[in-house]
Amino acid sequence: MKNALWPNLFRGWDRTESETVYTLKQVPVFKDFSKKEFTELEKLVHHRTYASGDFVFKNRAPGEGMYVIMKGTIKITIGTRSGNEQVLAELEEGDFFGELALFDNEPRSANALAIADSKLIGFFTADLLSLQDRNPQMTNKILMNLGSMLGERLRNTNNLLFEAQTKSNDDAGTAD
Amino acid sequence: MPAQQTDYFQLIYRLFLGLISAGFLWIIWPYISNVVLILVFAFLFTTVLLSSVDALEKRIHSRGLSVFIVTIGVLAGIGIFIGSFISQLSAQASDFSSRVDPTTLTTEFKNIGERFITALPGFAANMIPTGGDFASTLTGFVETVVNNLASLAGAVGNFVLNAAMILIFTIILLAEYHGFRKSLVGYISNKYFEIGLRLIFNIEKSVSSYLRGQFLSAASVALMSVIGLGILNLSGANLTLIVFIGIIAGLANLIPLVGPFVGMVPAILIAFMNNIGNEVALSHLLFGAVPSPFFILDIILMFIIVQQIEGNLITPTLVGKSVGLHPMIVMIALIIGGTILGPLGMLFAVPATGVLKVIGQEVAFVRRNAHLL
Repeated sequence: MKNALWPNLFRGWDRTESETVYTLKQVPVFKDFSKKEFTELEKLVHHRTYASGDFVFKNRAPGEGMYVIMKGTIKITIGTRSGNEQVLAELEEGDFFGELALFDNEPRSANALAIADSKLIGFFTADLLSLQDRNPQMTNKILMNLGSMLGERLRNTNNLLFEAQTKSNDDAGTAD
Repeated sequence: MPAQQTDYFQLIYRLFLGLISAGFLWIIWPYISNVVLILVFAFLFTTVLLSSVDALEKRIHSRGLSVFIVTIGVLAGIGIFIGSFISQLSAQASDFSSRVDPTTLTTEFKNIGERFITALPGFAANMIPTGGDFASTLTGFVETVVNNLASLAGAVGNFVLNAAMILIFTIILLAEYHGFRKSLVGYISNKYFEIGLRLIFNIEKSVSSYLRGQFLSAASVALMSVIGLGILNLSGANLTLIVFIGIIAGLANLIPLVGPFVGMVPAILIAFMNNIGNEVALSHLLFGAVPSPFFILDIILMFIIVQQIEGNLITPTLVGKSVGLHPMIVMIALIIGGTILGPLGMLFAVPATGVLKVIGQEVAFVRRNAHLL
């Protein structure tokens, strides 16, 4: 009879990282996390499953946190499906959305709709606050990463605005 | 209007389901009430200790060890308090019994009884039956206590068992709290998921801020009572165990409205035990004018002052309106809690009402935003 002592004693030693950790590693919000911190984060996040056609959230609904796509496709839109719907983005595996809700209590600024059966990882304000009490270093990393992402987005928006203004001035000059 | 008819039938259906659930709960309540009570206590202790465990985990990076250290610390604190209280109280009792023999005690009781009756206005004095005296009442009380010792032992056994169960549940909840919350949230449907998270978070915040507020005000009452009793000692009240009396007054203060009066009782008993046979203490006058045998009125006045400082100065400054309930609602909640569960019900009435208020607010919020979910 095979002795179960050794396999039990070294159980878990050959464990590879989970699908959740693999997905979270692709998200810049969790950049520079150690292996231990990813394990801690994995315990905290929520797994949600959405069928194709399900809303993850609707525009102006109260927002509580961000989602990371583990599997499936999510369409981000503004307006309603009946008429003036504008697609802002179609997000795939490894993409994330709704992160602004971690910062403020403002309602959602767009709709998020599953257009394929999707598995999402949710990370919410309540989780962030509970993490802040237990592991402030991790919370600091998350907030710094979010801050740098938002800074980058602001710079891009400024560049776009500058280009649009320059183009508009050029057009006005040509018209004169 | 078919849509309206559907709503109407749905309403009746929901009402019917609600009534069946309430009836079912009514039938099984006697069997599950003890377990529910244990879980409620464990949840409250967890809420109180959670921030300490989280703070320790932040330093030592081990949840299990943090729970162990906090639990051992709390148990050691309670053990030291109860142990030293019992030893000092028994020393006090043996000193009392060596000082006062039964004949002197009976004479003293008669003496106090007569003084008390003569001090009362005529109509009130006539309402007191003349057949018995305080001494025979006390003897009767002691006989009843001795006769009920068996049921007392049963009650103590039950209490110890319940306390052990609460301890075990509290340790498990503390160790796995965040995991339990995550599992609980996992059962919420996608539509109500974020709103459910928000509800749980707000309930946690409301309960923990209420409990923190209560413990802060209890600590302030304990400290002020100790100082007040110390001041009374300076004027010759001859009170002992003042630290314990202060702590008991602080703990009693956790029960709104009734607690402050319960807190006075040990101080009055100690004043009586220490001063019996002392003619100066017996004929003491409050402010040199109002008769206050054994400093009893001084003690009552001191506790009233402590309550006023705590209620009007300390609690509003330190705690604020932690639950934000109207005093009328607090009173109704206390009556209902007291009727259902006695003193325990009174202890839990206000936080439970606070939780119901938060749930009500969130339900109203969901109804307002239902079209967005």
